[in-house]
Amino acid sequence: MTERGAARRPDHLSAVPGSGSPPADAGDLLRLVARGDEAAFGRLYDLVIPRVYGLIRRVLRDPAQAEEVAQEVLVEVWRTATRFDTARGSATSWIFTIAHRRAVDRVRAEQASADRLMKVGVASVDTPYDEVVDEVAGRLERQQVRHCLDGLTELQRQAVTLAYYQGHSYREVADLLEAPLPTVKTRMRDGLIRLRDCLGVEVTA
Amino acid sequence: MTTVDIHALVGAYALDAVDDLERVSFERHVADCEACRTEVDELRGTASRLADSTWSVPPPRLRAEVLAAVGRTRQLPPLESARPRPDARAAVSRWRRYTAGAVAAGILAAGAGVAAWAVQEQRVQEQSAVVAEARKREARTEAIMAAPDLVVRTAPMIGGGRVTVASSEQQAASVVSLRADDAPPAGQAFQMWTIRGTGPAANAGVLPAGQASTVQVVDGVPGNDVFAVSVEPAGGSPSPTEVVAQVPLI
Repeated sequence: MTERGAARRPDHLSAVPGSGSPPADAGDLLRLVARGDEAAFGRLYDLVIPRVYGLIRRVLRDPAQAEEVAQEVLVEVWRTATRFDTARGSATSWIFTIAHRRAVDRVRAEQASADRLMKVGVASVDTPYDEVVDEVAGRLERQQVRHCLDGLTELQRQAVTLAYYQGHSYREVADLLEAPLPTVKTRMRDGLIRLRDCLGVEVTA
Repeated sequence: MTTVDIHALVGAYALDAVDDLERVSFERHVADCEACRTEVDELRGTASRLADSTWSVPPPRLRAEVLAAVGRTRQLPPLESARPRPDARAAVSRWRRYTAGAVAAGILAAGAGVAAWAVQEQRVQEQSAVVAEARKREARTEAIMAAPDLVVRTAPMIGGGRVTVASSEQQAASVVSLRADDAPPAGQAFQMWTIRGTGPAANAGVLPAGQASTVQVVDGVPGNDVFAVSVEPAGGSPSPTEVVAQVPLI
């Protein structure tokens, strides 16, 4: 759907660098953040917040708590930016890993599984602007993730999504799916390997 | 637990589906196993891509709160062992992230603007005519943003900030989000323009003097070549004086 327009400009405005300097990617911004650049942090925030907040909210179900945890995560990103290691993955992956772990930790600390299940119904009440933005912005990336999830076996897909999106431990997933523990561990690993190949994730050390 | 057993947790670890004890054991295992590291990093990278399907825009106040908290928070010193390394990731993957990021930033800006509108709307609840007008604009914004042929384009502003134009041919209109880092100097204002071919720039709206950001619907943007923003004397000019941003539309 969306591509940046070609850098073509009419001659009478050619003195102006329209899209001359491309927006920095998360890795570039994080390097600046590591040097204490608060403006770069603001730009990094804009770049990642819909997915950070979306992810936390999906795991926690509760918008108010999700806001709180999102704030903790972003401050953590600022605080520890100096320790991000580019050799171990992308900046966004690092940020989402922090976000996911914080969300899961919060779920385990504060909410029994039963509470969370009851909140599922409530969670679908989004504000209208959320829905609009979700609908448009997520489309491209969502399609790719969904396409790749569709390529998994049923058990692989359920094991991966129950753990990631609901924050269940592999033991809870085994209970929910009535599957043996070693099988669930294997399916999580196999499922992620297939997803990795489908999404083309690579880490070049 | 043997090494083989603990390594079988790599998937569960990448999904944060292990308990604290298992997490510590696994991380100890990986620290001693160079060969395992790449697999762990790749599977964690893969798991984090699942976040791509979880978009949701938080209330705009969160940004201010986070930035304020950051201003009060001291950063950790770098680890001794951390050394800068060349970014060796494939160009293809960089490009994919880059385009996705650009779209993300643009949409976020537009979303935050719509939310700001909702807040504004509450303040004028007594004035029903104003409210009705705001609702109409909001509905129009939503119709454009939800259009199946929406194309999002964005460009930086000279002096800091960003202009994003989300256009739909079907709706014959665009949602424009302008967010400058700083307001124009006293007595001056941002003015928006659409430009077709080599023809004169057509006025697309003037912001109130000193205002640094806006989100608004601009009719008829699709079909033009360039969307531009300039700094003008308060009230606007008949043609652009000092252009500070251009978004190519084709």
